[in-house]
Amino acid sequence: MIVARDLAPAQLDSILGRTSPVLKLAVAVVWFVGLATTIRIGPPMVLAIVALVAGMVVGRIPPRELARAVTPIWLAALGLAFFNTVFAAANADPSAVTVAQVGPFRITEAALASGVGLGLRLIAVGAVGAVFILTTDSTRLADSLVQQAGLSPRFAYGALAAYQAVPRFGEDLATLRQARRLRGLRGGWHPRLLVGLLVLAIRHGDRVALAMDARAFGSRPRTHYREVDWGWLDLGVAVGGAVVLAVALALGS
Amino acid sequence: MSFEVPAGGCLLVVGPSGSGKSSLGLALAGLIPRDLPGEVSGYLSVAGLDPRTAGPGAVAARLGLVFQDPGSQLVMERVEDDVAFGLENRGWSRAEMTSRIPVAISGAGLGGLERRRTNRLSGGQQQRLALAGVLAASPSVVILDEPTANLDPDGASDFFRRLASLRSEGSTTIVLVEHRVEAAWPLADLVLALGPDGTPIDIGSPEDVLRRSADRMAKAGIWLPDGRTSSGPGPSGPGPSGMDAHGTPTPSAIAPAAPPGSPVLSAAGVGFAYERGSPVLADVDLAIGAGERVALVGPNGSGKSTLGRLLVGLLRPTAGQIRSSGADPSRLRARDLALRAGYVFQDPEAGFLTDTVADEVMLGLGPVERAAAPALLERLRLPLGDFGARSPYRLSGGEARRLSLACALVRQPRLLVLDEPTFGQDRLGYAGLLDILRRRLDEGVCLVAATHDERFVADIASRIVRMDAGRIIRDVEGSAA
Repeated sequence: MIVARDLAPAQLDSILGRTSPVLKLAVAVVWFVGLATTIRIGPPMVLAIVALVAGMVVGRIPPRELARAVTPIWLAALGLAFFNTVFAAANADPSAVTVAQVGPFRITEAALASGVGLGLRLIAVGAVGAVFILTTDSTRLADSLVQQAGLSPRFAYGALAAYQAVPRFGEDLATLRQARRLRGLRGGWHPRLLVGLLVLAIRHGDRVALAMDARAFGSRPRTHYREVDWGWLDLGVAVGGAVVLAVALALGS
Repeated sequence: MSFEVPAGGCLLVVGPSGSGKSSLGLALAGLIPRDLPGEVSGYLSVAGLDPRTAGPGAVAARLGLVFQDPGSQLVMERVEDDVAFGLENRGWSRAEMTSRIPVAISGAGLGGLERRRTNRLSGGQQQRLALAGVLAASPSVVILDEPTANLDPDGASDFFRRLASLRSEGSTTIVLVEHRVEAAWPLADLVLALGPDGTPIDIGSPEDVLRRSADRMAKAGIWLPDGRTSSGPGPSGPGPSGMDAHGTPTPSAIAPAAPPGSPVLSAAGVGFAYERGSPVLADVDLAIGAGERVALVGPNGSGKSTLGRLLVGLLRPTAGQIRSSGADPSRLRARDLALRAGYVFQDPEAGFLTDTVADEVMLGLGPVERAAAPALLERLRLPLGDFGARSPYRLSGGEARRLSLACALVRQPRLLVLDEPTFGQDRLGYAGLLDILRRRLDEGVCLVAATHDERFVADIASRIVRMDAGRIIRDVEGSAA
């Protein structure tokens, strides 16, 4: 999921695809803050469902791709919810209401509520994150951060270049391990591999920085080939996002 | 050094590896001392500006730089955006960019690839894109630092054709740093030859420089254009054994190929895929006997490097089987593998594991091999006295490659697999490499070399295996010579 890839034209031309990436980020952050104010299970469920449906309907994300993107974080959410329920401190409280007793494990109402609440919030975060990633082109995200959020171009485009270099880490690591094998050294992990990776990453970063400067980066204020402007769509998504959050918080009570 | 390049002219910079050719380009662009440590003294004026006193990027805005490594000079994700990047930096209006970018892209022969991810382009396409991005801004000066070093012969000749048409337009001053002088020499109006210590040997018109200084250039290890190497007077220094004075092998130096016996190394129906469903190799059958010298040739991305790593046992095939002296090399213990096979990575820096040249070559060695290491480094022109304490990451491209070769040779393996061993080698480095390889080959060592270097193929191969799109498409005895 971390490897840069192309989104289908349908996704890019969809309503969410054309919405400003900065605005989508802002809506996501507001939703997450809203979720942090409650431990009830209603709001995260509503937000997760709305995010997934919106992703498929106004984001045109193929359901299969959406499922693949949310799976890892959802599995992690389930695991976390399980352990937080079974091993919660509240289970040891003799005065708490018991929901279930399986062998030596006693599960109290309080523990179940907090475990499920935690899991659902992670599920909502995963759904929102997947929809954001699957409707946002990384170049447009960088353009939008620079033009609409005033982020430093050096940071934004440097990060974009670094993002593209992520697959290199895997290759570099494989090469370093092969190099160790060629010297008759044991396989597996060795601290030197980390040093080697770091050296190669820094050198790559240096080369990209040099390439940017060699192309007159920072010589004068930049212009933009791809302009990202605010539009009615952004207003709609912002209002829609606020309404959904308000409804979710109200419904859950 | 002193020189002056007229506007619209082409300056060719040649010199042995480590002579400061790249530093000159970086200093002209003002990247030394701004981005990289260093000191530039004397009078310097590029397109009317002194790079040291002009504001950041002021000189860069008037010139274009193309580096050797195609992958690390492209900044943006897609072809079109990468061309736009340089124009945005120079403050072009959107309308100007919209009309200019398609012209630049089609001029580079990349029409139709506007939305392609830059990391999906071949090395040759990436390098043409780098040039397109530079030329889109109509710079008054273009500096090219060994732009074709990583390209296959087709990619390189395409690139030089593009450069020739740029020169004939006459509006751009070109500074070209290049080892491959055959293609570069005819383009030059002016040649600057640097000595090993970075001081100029000569500067002048190509004809004058050749007439006056061919000997001194040859002695410094500079490649000279073909025709001159055979007819010019020999240098006074003794050439390595088995070569004439210019490092060209004498016919007697090439030992006849060993009679084909049972194969030392064999691949049967070998396929390999890094990701399921997208194989990079398929149905490769290959049997290599003792003493055979196999050149793996073919375009960038045809699977040469992957096959090399499979043959050594660094990768395990996803289909078929590889046998090396009766064993599956990918299942050997590292200690056993290291004794049997030596390998040189295409990017030698990616395989370095220590902080000094001495540690690097000694890593994992027993006492006997340790004793042999200094002489080997000496022969590869990396004497421990000068290089031992240096960081392997601070070597020139040619030096790093020779160090990597030393690490492979020092264990006296019976199988040598080399990935582009001659990249960036000056003439002396090349001659030393050839000499040392020939000695090993005479002892019956088996060699597989993935290479774009036609000279190297002619000098050393007894068999040429041509690959394309992950398959062997031709397998012929005899060298290309």
